[in-house]
Amino acid sequence: MANRTDPSAKSIHGTNPQNLVEKILRSKIYQNTYWKEQCFGLTAETLVDKAMELDHLGGTHGGNRKPTPFICLVMKMLQIQPDKEIVVEFIKNEDYKYVRILGAFYLRLTGTDIDVYRYLEPLYNDYRKLRRKLGDGQYSLTHVDEVIDELLTKDYSCDIALPRIKKRLTIEAIGALEPRKSALEDDFEEEEEKDEDEQLMDTDVGGHEKDYYRVQSPTKERGRDRKRDSHRHRDRDHDREYDRDYDRDRGRGRDRDRDRDRDRDRDRDRDRYREREGRERERRDRERERGGRRRSYSRSRSRSRDRKDDGEERRRRHGRDRDRDRDRDSSGSPRKMQEDEKPAKKKKEKEKKKDDGTDHPDPEIAEANRIRASLGLKPLRL
Amino acid sequence: MIEVVLNDRLGKKVRVKCNDDDTIGDLKKLVAAQIGTRADKIRIQKWYNIYKDHITLKDYEIHDGMGLELYYN
Repeated sequence: MANRTDPSAKSIHGTNPQNLVEKILRSKIYQNTYWKEQCFGLTAETLVDKAMELDHLGGTHGGNRKPTPFICLVMKMLQIQPDKEIVVEFIKNEDYKYVRILGAFYLRLTGTDIDVYRYLEPLYNDYRKLRRKLGDGQYSLTHVDEVIDELLTKDYSCDIALPRIKKRLTIEAIGALEPRKSALEDDFEEEEEKDEDEQLMDTDVGGHEKDYYRVQSPTKERGRDRKRDSHRHRDRDHDREYDRDYDRDRGRGRDRDRDRDRDRDRDRDRDRYREREGRERERRDRERERGGRRRSYSRSRSRSRDRKDDGEERRRRHGRDRDRDRDRDSSGSPRKMQEDEKPAKKKKEKEKKKDDGTDHPDPEIAEANRIRASLGLKPLRL
Repeated sequence: MIEVVLNDRLGKKVRVKCNDDDTIGDLKKLVAAQIGTRADKIRIQKWYNIYKDHITLKDYEIHDGMGLELYYN
């Protein structure tokens, strides 16, 4: 008798509201002592008192899956079905954060898509801490806005499967909701403007000063993280392309242009090396040296020095390049530096797959290893 | 590698290949991948002993071919 839904209650999502909680969890709640003692004969007013006493949220915990008081109160609300005004009052109140979360959870289960977005999104600005009971019985720290984000984006929370709601983009496309305006939007715009000014200044200055600016920016008050994030979140192609070029240059350094020049020259000269003796090589280098000085300074590095010195320098600075050059020597075919990286990476990926065991001759074991790899487990030890 | 049989006596009988140093939690994930329920909805028991998630199969002395009971939370 105590577990029957209020006869005047409407059906939610086409079913008895209590059926939103699945059968096994429902039976567990009915057998729970908190439900039997405290939740008997609750009305909307007395429910508020019980909600104010909450001190943690969560689903079920322990080996036999004991429900938390939070989930028992959610069940009670589904049973008595308070009016929408009362639920909105729960959400709007600022004093008791668990009452807020309780109202938000109930609205997520029972409300329409538009209501859910309209009433839950303001809660994104609430940063208060919450205590959450995990499945193994331990508590973890979370925040109000994290919980709201979970309610709006995931389809499972606190051991209850949340009903499907339309994505925000769809609702915006229909025109029922305005595009979301974040409270941090003004801060982001300021940052964007500052970044734009910085980048414009960087392109004007010479190449070697780019690194100088790059080193400077982390020390600014804004902090590197926000700068990185603002690039990530924004859709401006201008930024993305610039970052890509920026990173590429930064990764290889100024040496990149020089390396390319050097390699091009190397390829041309390698064939000549193989034909001649070492003495002739030196003679040629001396000639080139003389000729190199007359040329522009961007090319002088590659030509003005002796081949041997170049090799030593390279060995000193870029061990990686040396290996790559060695590979190229053995293969004998001229290739650019970037293409060399790709075969090396492909080799590494192939080796990684073999470690996973997904190419085992027995198809059952290969399939089992594939599932294990997708779950993050090590392959089967045969 | 050992193969464990899980039976829920209602029609679902599942054979799962795993290592003996996998934990019960890992075994539940593998079973969930095969059955289709969520891993945290599965309970593995032997008579009235509910097997805990953080203990390995070797410590529970689960050998090759052994049968376990499959229940749902």
